[in-house]
Order: sequence, then structure tokens, then C-alpha cells
Amino acid sequence: MVALTIAVAKGRTADQTITLLKKVGITFTDLTPSSRKLVFYNSDKSIKLIFVKAVDVPTYVEKGAADIGIVGKDNILESKADIYEILDLKIGQCEFAVAGKPGQSLDSVQPLTIATKYPTVAKKHFARKGKAIDVVKLNGSVELAPLIGLSDVIVDIVETGNTLRENGLVILEKVKPISTRLIVNKASFAMKAEHIQPFIKKLKKNLEESRCNT
Amino acid sequence: MQPLINHFYRGNEVGHFQQREELLAILKQRFRTYGYSQIQTTTFEPYDLYASKPVMVNTEEMIKFIDTAGKVLVLRPDATIPITQRMAVSPTQTRTNKRFFYVMDVFRHSQSDDEKERTQAGIECFATRTPAVDAEVIALAIHTLKDCGFPTFKVEIGHAGFFKALIAQSALSEKEITEIQGFIKTKNITEMTNYLQSLTIDIAIKNAIEYIPFLYGKPEAVMDEVKEYGLNSKVQAELTYLMDVYHILQAYELTDDIIFNLGLINDMNYYSNIIFQGFVDQVGKPVVMGGRYDHLGDRFGTDLPAIGFAFDVDLLLGAAQRHHLLEASNIDTTIYIYYELTQQKEALTAAFYLRDQDYAVISKPLTDLPERISESTRIIIYKPTMSMLKYKAKTYEFNHPSELLTIL
Repeated sequence: MVALTIAVAKGRTADQTITLLKKVGITFTDLTPSSRKLVFYNSDKSIKLIFVKAVDVPTYVEKGAADIGIVGKDNILESKADIYEILDLKIGQCEFAVAGKPGQSLDSVQPLTIATKYPTVAKKHFARKGKAIDVVKLNGSVELAPLIGLSDVIVDIVETGNTLRENGLVILEKVKPISTRLIVNKASFAMKAEHIQPFIKKLKKNLEESRCNT
Repeated sequence: MQPLINHFYRGNEVGHFQQREELLAILKQRFRTYGYSQIQTTTFEPYDLYASKPVMVNTEEMIKFIDTAGKVLVLRPDATIPITQRMAVSPTQTRTNKRFFYVMDVFRHSQSDDEKERTQAGIECFATRTPAVDAEVIALAIHTLKDCGFPTFKVEIGHAGFFKALIAQSALSEKEITEIQGFIKTKNITEMTNYLQSLTIDIAIKNAIEYIPFLYGKPEAVMDEVKEYGLNSKVQAELTYLMDVYHILQAYELTDDIIFNLGLINDMNYYSNIIFQGFVDQVGKPVVMGGRYDHLGDRFGTDLPAIGFAFDVDLLLGAAQRHHLLEASNIDTTIYIYYELTQQKEALTAAFYLRDQDYAVISKPLTDLPERISESTRIIIYKPTMSMLKYKAKTYEFNHPSELLTIL
């Protein structure tokens, strides 16, 4: 049987995914927390798990290097990949938000300068509101930008709000809730239907059951 | 000075271009065997053809410019529209039962340079709708995929009117419909459910829309499921028609490769009835897309029922290379003739003779003979004392070029 390849975002998403797969009876024996290996097979070798950087997961799936991907909605939105987004795994829940110094108005400055790791998401959000913006693309420590005058506000992922608070920033506007999604390559969905469909059904059933229990 | 680096272009590498031509030859040959003749339309077209209401191609995507008279032109953004327009202005008696195929570039603005210019190879069949015509067109698409050598592939069949008919029963705005289409296209059921809840919409229609992404799989199974959704007779008739097409495909023995996908939505809004798209292994986008567009002719004041499809040649080529379906193209089959000047006449006569026999020949004076030559290169040397062919570390003497043919 041709193995189903699943690309998973490294880090927390990977850990949560492995727990989830364990619940539906898919286990990876050679997987240990300290392992640095990037490729794993389950017991009957029907599933191949590969660990990649989160931002690359949509690319792996769109290009067919993986059939399935498990990754945050943030990375899916930013990549604009042409894929199926089949399931919300209800893990890694947080949201996109516009944040800035307390009292900062989003209407006072034109154009608004926005620092973000997610330029596509930021542009789309403000385009929908019909507002002109300048985007400063950063790769980390985005919270710093308004503090030192690099930007007026930031667009970033907010989970608990702790990082914002510690840097004296507040949420000014919510953009979109995000969570971890299961994405599928469009060709794989057609070509490997008899393999992918049962896999999705199993996960879906488990998700519904656990929702009923809580 | 900074060197000007040429951005990627699909034809600027010799080996790559040969493979491309090889693939196009396969497609063209197969199209011909179904009675199609090749045509071409102009690259420059009036902007208004696409941008006047209802808009046919996203105006932001078109590559526009202005001619000396101030008229706005675009580079051909689509192949089907200009071919249909051409048919519409041709004499009435020549309008039906016409079969055309084309290999044309289409131009759209896009993020990456290599996607601004795409080659499409497709067919247009101007004929009234019958299951037999539609099935034959799909069979041709599958036959062509087989010719390319893909071991496995799937063709998804859907209906452009299915979603429209459901939506027509609701009073949704264009923006809301676009949003819902986006969710259906990505099978994003979670977000669609949330979105539908925010709309004031009849519960029955809502349930039906939510179920669209699941209407996917074996035709009989999909038809069984869809029956539960109390469809009106018009929609039901269209779905029965799809099954009629499917039954004819059974006669072609092609049903293993067919999947029904009633959530299929094509970005080109001229499609009116059956639509389909074909996938090959490991390529996340359809390599071929098509469908019936019975009302596109209305736009040009003519009744022109038609069906067609187009292969995305660049995508198909990438897929064929990935599956190693095309011959390796870096083998140099050229014959090199080196001659002493006293033997020039004989050497050039031999070169002419070999070219007549379809060999590629390059002739040069012996002084140009490089010191190192790869073993696999075929070399002919003309000296006053003798003439010989060197190939794979062996030397063959000969008197007349005709002897070369047996050696080669």
C-alpha cells in the first residue's frame, strides 16, 4: 500500500498531533521526545509522518510532497496555498488581532503603519475595511515595533495576551480566530480517496466524541 | 555594473524546450484523431471584450496597454472567449458541429513571474448538448492523459449549475456567494458552518449548502445521497443528465478514473452545465479543466452551444517530468565533420548527404578540432589520406558517405 504522507508543523503542533493520532490508534513506535529524526512511520507503515517548519507545511501539501498537512490557520492564510481545508482540529486555538499602545486610534493616522509577520493577512484585513496601510514585514519580536516607533500598530497572533501585556500593548481589534487545521492536497484527495477518507472520518469521529465529553 | 539576469522562462533551456515540444506533439496528435483542427487567435484583444458587464475575467489580473489611438488592449487572458467570439461572427451555416483545437499562451498578472504567461492546449467543440458529445469530450481528455503516460489519474465531474440553482432559492448578495464559494472550493466546512449561521437564510437551503462538500465520490453513491435533499425537478434533471454522460463513459471503459464532485466550482463563470477537471499523482492542481458553456455565445448575439477543455501545459510538463515520462533530452546526437581544406568539397557533400537523411550535422575545418572530445560524440574526419568516423572509442574507415549510414 502506498504510504500516506502527513506533514506536521514542528513544535507544539507536532506534540498535540501525536496525542490526537494516538487516540485514534495510530502510533509511532520510534518516536521519542528527544529524537531529532524528521521522518517516522507508524506500526504498519501505512502512514509516514514528516516534521517541517510550520510556514512550509502548506507548501509541502500544495506541491504534493505531502498528502496531508497539520498546521495553524495563520500559516494557511499567509501562504494562500490552493488546498482543501477539511477539519478544524480544535487545538492551538488563538486569534489574529491588531494590537498597539493603549488609546491608539486606528482611524487617526493615514496610512497606518503595521509591523507583522503576516503581511498577507494584514493587507487583506485592512483592504476589507477600505483603509490604506504600510506594512513592515518582521520575523520576530513584533511587539517591539510600536514601542520604538517602527510602526503604529502590529498584527499578530494572540493566545493569552501575556506577551502584549508585558510590553504595554493592548488588543485594539480582533481580526480572525485561528486554530490547527487538517489540510489535504487536491490531487491526493481524488487519487487516494480510499485511504484518506477513512482517515479523516476516524479523526472527525474522535473530535466529535471528545467535544461531547467536555 | 549589475548584470541583468533573465528571469525564469520555460523555453530558454534547450533540453526543457525539446521535452515541451514532445509533449505538445502528443496532445496535438490525439486532438486530431478526434476530428479537431488547429486554430489560433490574436494575442492583442480589446479590453472591453472581457471587462464589460458581466465581467468575464478579473480586470485586475489582465495585462493592459494602450495603442497609438488610445484604445485599451489586453494580452489574451483566456482562450475560450476569443474562439467563441470568432465563431459568433462567422457565417451562420458554418457555426455548428465545428471542432477546433489550439495551443496558445494566456497572460495574467500573478505573484510569480513564471505564472504570468501560461500555455494552454485545449479543444472547443461547438455542438448542441447531448450526453454522447459531452462524454466524448471527457473521453478525449482522459485518452490524452493516457497518451502522456500517466499511470494513474482521476477526473472529477461536477455541474456548474448545481450550486447556482441552490443559491438562486436564497436572497444572498454577490459578496456572500463569493465567500460561500470559497469555502466550498476548499471544503472548509467548519468555517462555512459558522458563516452560514451569521446569515439569514432558509434552514433547508443552509443544510443543502453545508452538504455540498460531501457530495464527492463514486457517482452512484453521490446520486443516492443527493436525493435526500429534496431538489427541484430542474436540478434533478441536470443530475440525471450527468448520470447519462457517466453511462456512456462506461461504454468507453473509463469509469474507473471518474469521480463525481458536486462541490466543483470553476473560476470562469461562463460554464453552464457539466464541468470537469483532471488530476495526476502528486500535482496539487488540476492539469486539465473544462466544461460546457452553452450561453457564452449569447454575449455575442448568437446561440452557440459548446463544450471544451484546456490542459495547463506548464503544469502538465512539470508533472510528466516528475513522473519521468519524457525522454532525457541532453543526449547530443549531432555528427561533427572536421576536414582538411583540400577535402572541403567532399566533406560538405557528405554533410549535405547526411542532412538529407535527417541527421544533424555541423562541419568545421580540422584546425577547429578540440583537444578533448567526449566518447559519445560522433566525429567524422576528412584527410587527403583517408576519411573516418570515430564513435565510442572505435574508428571506422569509409570511402563514400553512404557507407556511414550502415555504421551509424
